[in-house]
Amino acid sequence: MFDAVSRVAVAGALDEQVPGAAALGAVDYVERLLAALDHDPPHIWAAPGAWAGDGPRWLDLGPWERHAWAERIAELRALYARVVDGTATDADRRVLHTHACEATYGDPAYGGNAGGGGWQRIDFPEPLLPPARGR
Amino acid sequence: MTDCDAVIVGSGPGGATAAEVLTAAGWSVVVLEKGRNHLVDLEAPHEPLRHFANDEIALTRRHLLGPDPRLEPRTYRRSAADGDRLLTGEVNNLPSTVGGGGVHADAKLPRLREEDLHLRSARGPVDAASVEDWPVQYADLEPHYTAVERSFGVAGEDGANPFAAWRSGPFPMPPGPDMPMAVVSSAAAARAGWHPYRAPTGANSVPYDGRPACVDCGFCGGYGCPVHAKGDPIAALQRALRTGRCDVRPDAYATEILLERAGRRATGVRYLDLTGYPDPRVSEVHATHAVILAAGAFETPRLLLRNGLGGDLVGRFLTFHFQTFTVGIFPEATGGERGRSVTHLHDDLMVDAPDLRAAATAAGLPWLRGGVVEHGSGPGPIDEACTYAAGAGHLPSMIDSALRRRLWVFTMQGEDLPQVTNRVDLDPSVRDAWGFPAGRVTYAPHRHELAASAYAAPLHEAVMTDAGAHATFSATSPPQDDLDRHASRSPLGVAPASRHVMGTARMGSDPSTSVVSPEQRLWGVDNLLVCDSSVFVTASGYNPTLTLAALAHRAATLLSGGP
Repeated sequence: MFDAVSRVAVAGALDEQVPGAAALGAVDYVERLLAALDHDPPHIWAAPGAWAGDGPRWLDLGPWERHAWAERIAELRALYARVVDGTATDADRRVLHTHACEATYGDPAYGGNAGGGGWQRIDFPEPLLPPARGR
Repeated sequence: MTDCDAVIVGSGPGGATAAEVLTAAGWSVVVLEKGRNHLVDLEAPHEPLRHFANDEIALTRRHLLGPDPRLEPRTYRRSAADGDRLLTGEVNNLPSTVGGGGVHADAKLPRLREEDLHLRSARGPVDAASVEDWPVQYADLEPHYTAVERSFGVAGEDGANPFAAWRSGPFPMPPGPDMPMAVVSSAAAARAGWHPYRAPTGANSVPYDGRPACVDCGFCGGYGCPVHAKGDPIAALQRALRTGRCDVRPDAYATEILLERAGRRATGVRYLDLTGYPDPRVSEVHATHAVILAAGAFETPRLLLRNGLGGDLVGRFLTFHFQTFTVGIFPEATGGERGRSVTHLHDDLMVDAPDLRAAATAAGLPWLRGGVVEHGSGPGPIDEACTYAAGAGHLPSMIDSALRRRLWVFTMQGEDLPQVTNRVDLDPSVRDAWGFPAGRVTYAPHRHELAASAYAAPLHEAVMTDAGAHATFSATSPPQDDLDRHASRSPLGVAPASRHVMGTARMGSDPSTSVVSPEQRLWGVDNLLVCDSSVFVTASGYNPTLTLAALAHRAATLLSGGP
């Protein structure tokens, strides 16, 4: 999704919000979100993990939910283009802040928080019933 | 030619309870649910689905339980002085999914007290508020409270709350494990002369009704239960489905209530089948006996208003709980990452007492009532992270974790007095994805709520300090100070954050002052019933779910010819 130059710009913008976010996979988190609808089921909602038995790794979306996410992701792609161009607005930076927080402290299933490192640095206990992880 | 005996709009605690009662009486029902199904397999034997995990992103950030505000925006303003709206987006968004609001709740299921149902008689009127008695009293509801406690599976401690109304029998289960910090805060509350008790909770403390005991994973309030220890309302839906007489249709957006020519009798519901995109198929379901609205106190009036039914009072007397949060920041971790979000309550500020009377007099009010107070844990790490400013201080703030790991909070679900100007109506220009007017909330608290909050907050701050907090502060939702600050930073935002939405189709004995009868039938359309918290006459200060389910149980029992 992002080329090497763009990755550097996005990583810098995310780290500006939450220092250390990029090292924990925040760019991967954003890339996976922006490409979520390239998969079927879309990679929006991780399904429960092995504790729940065998099953899909991602939950399906209804057609209207896909529509809403397609609109949302189109806007996010435009936002990240502005980040790469260096024209991000204050409103864009608020979204970056949210994404950096989600990427650092959300479940690793979504591409960030590599190895649970975000949780470890704040002493947050590993969830008992996590979603499925891995593509 | 009809499809069923009754069609029910909404599959939350009210709709599910009505479905359970009617199918047990031999009726066939169709349940239309606007949201998608993540709860229960609609094919026999109707086992729970496994869609929920300990996942802050899916459940609290990405609208897994719906509604997606892009598809279903709502709007909010404090009064007409704000113009058509102050904000557009998420406003009191209870889940839009099979199971409704029961899915996300941490399932605190107290009963109302007897006084709550005749507040005007007990306490008297209040200027600029519409405090009225309910047309049903506690003795009418008690058997139905008992029935829904058994249906959902409520864990509680008999006799623990000295202020509780009488009960005809014990709780179905003993209480679950205490959250350790709740034991500490309860001890401090007791030292202040209050009477904390283990919260009646609709999460299994032991295996019950074929579902397992809660594992105290900590992802409770705001989350679907991964192991389905929460029985509200999956238990009621499963029982209805297993009769073979219940057809639950997800992705079914009710758009029109069908009436016979004279307009005095409902014959069915027209709906959009949202499995179709971009042109959802228009379908109808026709009922022999009744149409039951159980879409919640936001969506039920919206549907009635779109259909021009119920008169000018529809949508009015909207109440929430005016929430006062007293936060304690402790020197050490409070252990809130595990447990059922809240395990202890106290009710003392719901009970008439000399100090409350004095505070009321000082505020120029005839009386004051606070609300049930929940002893609870803080947010998840993403929510916490989003509250801290960007930059170099972010990680130190997260490690220090004053707003999560070292936090404990008293949440007072303050009684919100009904006012005719507080309402749900149709936004004049914002539309949902299907072209229907968005629902709009117009809401500002009565000065009673502000006075009760101002009275309670310092008392709770003192208790937090006694419990060991080295810093305390209090805040309300909706906020009463700088809205810009709340809009940009507060996780609670500027609109009321309470998901306890009530009172928009109030029940009464007089058609000129109410929307539905004591049997919850719409005045003028006798077989159109409302079975959700819309019918509440006053808000009380207690979580509304058990009461709305008990009312639905009673209304459905009467409808099907029961006592």
